[in-house]
Amino acid sequence: MAHTSAAAAAGHKPKKSKQSPHSGMSKALIRRETISAYCFLLPSLLFFVTFVVVPMFICVFYSFTEYGLGGVKGFAGLDNYLKLFQDPIFHRGFLNTVLIVAVAVPTVTAFSLWVSSAIYKMHAIPRSFFRCVFYLPVVTGSVAITVVWKWILDPYNGILNQVAGTTGFDWLGNQRTAIWFIILILFTTSIGQPIVLYVAALGNVDQSLVEAAQVDGATKLQVFWKIKWPQIMPTTLYVMVITTINSFQCFALIQLLTKGGPLNSTMTIMYQVYDTAYRLNDLGYACAIGVVLAIIIAIFSAIQFKLAKTDD
Amino acid sequence: MNMKRPLAFLLAAGMTLGLTACGDPSQPGSSNAPASSSPSANSPDSSAVTLDLWSFNIGSFTEASNWDSILTAFNDKYPDITVNVTPINYQDGDQKLTSAITSGSGPDIIFEGPERIVGNYAREGLMVDLSDLWSKSGSDIAEGISSVSQLDGTYYMYPLSAAAHCMAINYEVFEAAGALQYIDEETRTWSTDDFKAAMEAIKTAIDNGTVSVATPGIVYCGAQGGDQGTRALVNNLYSDYYVTEDGTSYNANSAKNVQALTLLKDMVKNGSLSANASYAAAEELQAFANQTCAVTFCWNYSNYTQYAEQAQFTPFAMAFPSDDKVPALEMAGPYGFGVFDKGDQAKIDAAKTFIDFVCNDQTVGTQAVKTTGFFPVHSDWGDVYAGDADAELRAPFALMSDYLGRYYNLTGGWTEQRALWWPMLAEILTTDADVQTAADNYVNQANANIK
Repeated sequence: MAHTSAAAAAGHKPKKSKQSPHSGMSKALIRRETISAYCFLLPSLLFFVTFVVVPMFICVFYSFTEYGLGGVKGFAGLDNYLKLFQDPIFHRGFLNTVLIVAVAVPTVTAFSLWVSSAIYKMHAIPRSFFRCVFYLPVVTGSVAITVVWKWILDPYNGILNQVAGTTGFDWLGNQRTAIWFIILILFTTSIGQPIVLYVAALGNVDQSLVEAAQVDGATKLQVFWKIKWPQIMPTTLYVMVITTINSFQCFALIQLLTKGGPLNSTMTIMYQVYDTAYRLNDLGYACAIGVVLAIIIAIFSAIQFKLAKTDD
Repeated sequence: MNMKRPLAFLLAAGMTLGLTACGDPSQPGSSNAPASSSPSANSPDSSAVTLDLWSFNIGSFTEASNWDSILTAFNDKYPDITVNVTPINYQDGDQKLTSAITSGSGPDIIFEGPERIVGNYAREGLMVDLSDLWSKSGSDIAEGISSVSQLDGTYYMYPLSAAAHCMAINYEVFEAAGALQYIDEETRTWSTDDFKAAMEAIKTAIDNGTVSVATPGIVYCGAQGGDQGTRALVNNLYSDYYVTEDGTSYNANSAKNVQALTLLKDMVKNGSLSANASYAAAEELQAFANQTCAVTFCWNYSNYTQYAEQAQFTPFAMAFPSDDKVPALEMAGPYGFGVFDKGDQAKIDAAKTFIDFVCNDQTVGTQAVKTTGFFPVHSDWGDVYAGDADAELRAPFALMSDYLGRYYNLTGGWTEQRALWWPMLAEILTTDADVQTAADNYVNQANANIK
């Protein structure tokens, strides 16, 4: 342990042990444990395959068909995908989605790390209090949250206009401001989980390394970057990937607040999937949009994994 | 090989695609047991049929229990047919129906209007021919209602009730602002100039502090909910139509409609109206009930009953203003039934029996009509509200039926154009966009879907 930590503190990657985790175990025991592990995995695996993997392949299949309310009318080939390139709403939705991700992911990650750094050393009671405060929007229903924000942003009776003295200004009905309020509300509902994770991750940082670095005269910034940051990197990666996926899939806020408007200024790819499928009943095209969104998310996730340079 | 990375990608992709491909788990009839209001006394036998009826929240048909007395009467006469009612609403009803229909678990009967029954489902070949019901009992139903219940000469909907969409004013605010002079209280009509003058009078009264509303009126353009109001407002101002006479083109870019849109834009600019791209009809109605605005463009008896308790003023139903004071209102409904063709003749026959009973039995039909809050499509039934305690309150809405205009909601590409109408309004009324250009763009896009 000491060897590993010292190597990490020195900025070197710890050498992976070539020893098998099963060293010293009999083959029968390994087999028994493997079977037990699969048994434990089975319920969630069944659920995952039934409700995620199978629909995923069904969706890919339908994306190549002309699929409406009356069922599959024929094979569409790549038509649904080609349509995407000519669809200005998709283009707008793509740009808005990228904007939401580009703003939300770094701000959520940075803010939650900042808050966690401030509270993880606190006494248990205030620490729990702050965790509760920031986690509250996560457990509060999105409908309740949007209703409150609607009140705040109402053009005539909203608190924001009362405070700002801009009575009548339609924050969610203005092309320039609507998307930023979507991002703001998404931000408030996204920071809870990262804060809880970061508080736990920071609490697990090896204090002996921190103390050793401090004894060696390391500044607070150096301690953070050289000691803490590498150790919380897996958490950071998880937070970034989850926030990226959540941002890409931002739907409820838009459905409840703006319906993609005004003038598609808050349209996202995810909302277009819903709108195309359930309002326009063009299910084949909706599936194609969903497939493209999945590919985009996978690319973003791959980039994040690559940048984070970790195997976790 | 390290499997974590590909597994993570698979998870990310699956989480996205799952939403598209999976049916909504909250859909009625799947994980959530449908609210059943069927009598349980029936003993099943070989001829027993169970029907699923999905009912949109029309009038007071908001809960399954409101069907109870109708179903009890039906089961007294037809004990072998059980009807399970699932109420759905306009917020997510389309999503639930789409999920259910595509997964093969859709209802047997739907209670809605021709826009969905004929325009959406019959056009997709999903509905049963109801011409036999029309032949049997439809002779006293008005031609306008008959024509919208059919597609290519085949009847797919059998109607129960209908009414007219109108608007309403806050009577006390109009009185305080001196704007009552601009309305004809007897006929409940007003001219475009009267409307303009009334709104300006209220704006002046707001500025003077005479009235406490925040704005004279709100043109909502944040979603398609209640878009019949904004359609009727634009079309009536200079007496034009939403769709050309031959139904081959949407018509927002006609000279008269552009004139109407320009007038609204000017009124928004001078403050005698507001335009809100974050408001749909529900928000505007709430603002009207809260006395935030002095008029609503989305009114009917159903909305009246919904907001009556909240409104601490007199909501006075009015026809939409028009230059010639001859309004052409959009029909609310006609609301009625359609039967999904699921290949089960016994269910189809039972569904027709149910529809025939609810729509053609005058006693039960009257009860059903009153629950919708509208008026019967059978002219032979006369005034079903005569003698009722609230007959006087309903009178203005009965008057509105005299102003019914053309029904254009079955024009091809209707669903698609609805998604274009309110963004066009938002573009015109909340930005500096050129009215004619925005209207032309809307018409070009809307016409692309007319088949």
